[in-house]
Amino acid sequence: MGNAELVAMMLADGRLPTGGHTQSGGLEPAVRAGLGADGKQLADVAAYARDRLRTTTRVEAAVAVLTRHIATSSHLSGTKLSPGDENVPKNGPRLSERAATLGPVEAAWAARTPSHVVRGVSRRQGRLLLRLARRVWPDVSAYLPNDGEIARPVVLGVVGAVTGLSAEQVARTIAYDDAQTVISASLKLLPVDPADAATWLAGLHDDIEWLVKDVAPLTRIDEIPADGAPLIDVFAHNHAIERMRLFHA
Amino acid sequence: MPETRSFRLGVAGPVGTGKSSLIATVCRELAGELRLGVITNDIYTDEDARLLRSAGVLDPERIRAVETGACPHTAIRDDVTPNLIAVEDLERDFAPLDVVLVESGGDNLTATFSPALVDAQIFVLDVAGGGDVARKGGPGIARADLLIVNKTDLAPYVGVDVEQMVKDAEHARDGKPVIALSRTDPASVALLTEWVRSMAHAVRAGDHTPVDPGPMAPHSHVGEDGELITHTHAHTH
Repeated sequence: MGNAELVAMMLADGRLPTGGHTQSGGLEPAVRAGLGADGKQLADVAAYARDRLRTTTRVEAAVAVLTRHIATSSHLSGTKLSPGDENVPKNGPRLSERAATLGPVEAAWAARTPSHVVRGVSRRQGRLLLRLARRVWPDVSAYLPNDGEIARPVVLGVVGAVTGLSAEQVARTIAYDDAQTVISASLKLLPVDPADAATWLAGLHDDIEWLVKDVAPLTRIDEIPADGAPLIDVFAHNHAIERMRLFHA
Repeated sequence: MPETRSFRLGVAGPVGTGKSSLIATVCRELAGELRLGVITNDIYTDEDARLLRSAGVLDPERIRAVETGACPHTAIRDDVTPNLIAVEDLERDFAPLDVVLVESGGDNLTATFSPALVDAQIFVLDVAGGGDVARKGGPGIARADLLIVNKTDLAPYVGVDVEQMVKDAEHARDGKPVIALSRTDPASVALLTEWVRSMAHAVRAGDHTPVDPGPMAPHSHVGEDGELITHTHAHTH
């Protein structure tokens, strides 16, 4: 299955048709609450992206790593998966059994994501990614239903498992995508010079790699960190009932 | 087509040309005979969805808004996933629906729907936007399944010759239909609803293939020998 490096690039590319253009990583409601001080404190954007990398995004990345780990183990124990066949691989576990092994990791993610609004957003984005993945990487059908609201890091972890991504690549994809979502959205929400935005993103590389180093080795669900950012949850709840909005979340 | 799959009809066109109002008209005229749903792509608010809900022409539950992240073009063309899911969920929740109308966020003349999202598309211009717009062409004007020249009742006030504008549009469209519409002119409204009816029938019968209006309109330029060359293919000069 393909070149893992290139798969990781595809997953990190905002042009991949998975509805990424509808997301701001919570930046829009944060800006409405005063982040950036109407353009007078633009460095807030990078600080916000960094705060996410240290809290909520760590959890997401760890969940994706664990999903990849579980799916990879079950992949090896089963027989060769038939692309696109969501029924029963002849000698391997049934889809329902494979999917069931992912239930606990989704539950662990939900337990660490207390806001139902934030869970809803991740599951919607997971559904969009799943929709694309089942066309581009049909092997995901051995682990996931054809359609469904499943946390995005779980879907991404399965894509990583069936395409041969390493735990590091999976964690890095989640972290980079989150930071890039926030930074890109700032161009539409604040008076930001695009070159400054790219500079902020480059400035987050060390934070991204620290996250990767921390979560990539995890192999047990109870090791998934439980970091949270309550203000991000509060902003998300405000945004869900906001009439004037550019981004879904 | 599966029982729950509706005829998906896109409505695109520049800001303010009357897309929401056209959809309200279609709903008002056809809600009695066809089971309808609407998806709106608003740019900054859920204004269009609210307008349609308050028009009282359709059960408000059957009108849903999709956010576009300030990219109306992307939402109907480059990445239609959020819209597709909204359409499918509406079809599932109100099964069976006959027609789902998808309203694009107001954009420019190059914004057209991907054939992966809609079965057919209407492009809407209005006389107030200028009589020369139809002549300017663009993929929506030239190749949408139907072109609407809207608000013809305003023509005397904005100094536009409707007949000429329609003639320009027909010239750009190579025989594809153009309707000069005013919601105060019942005869023009009847032409629109008849088109929707017959297109719904054709799609359901499997007689219609979605077209891609594509990024480039037919256009001409003067060749080296002074000859006028008209292209319909995508290329760079």
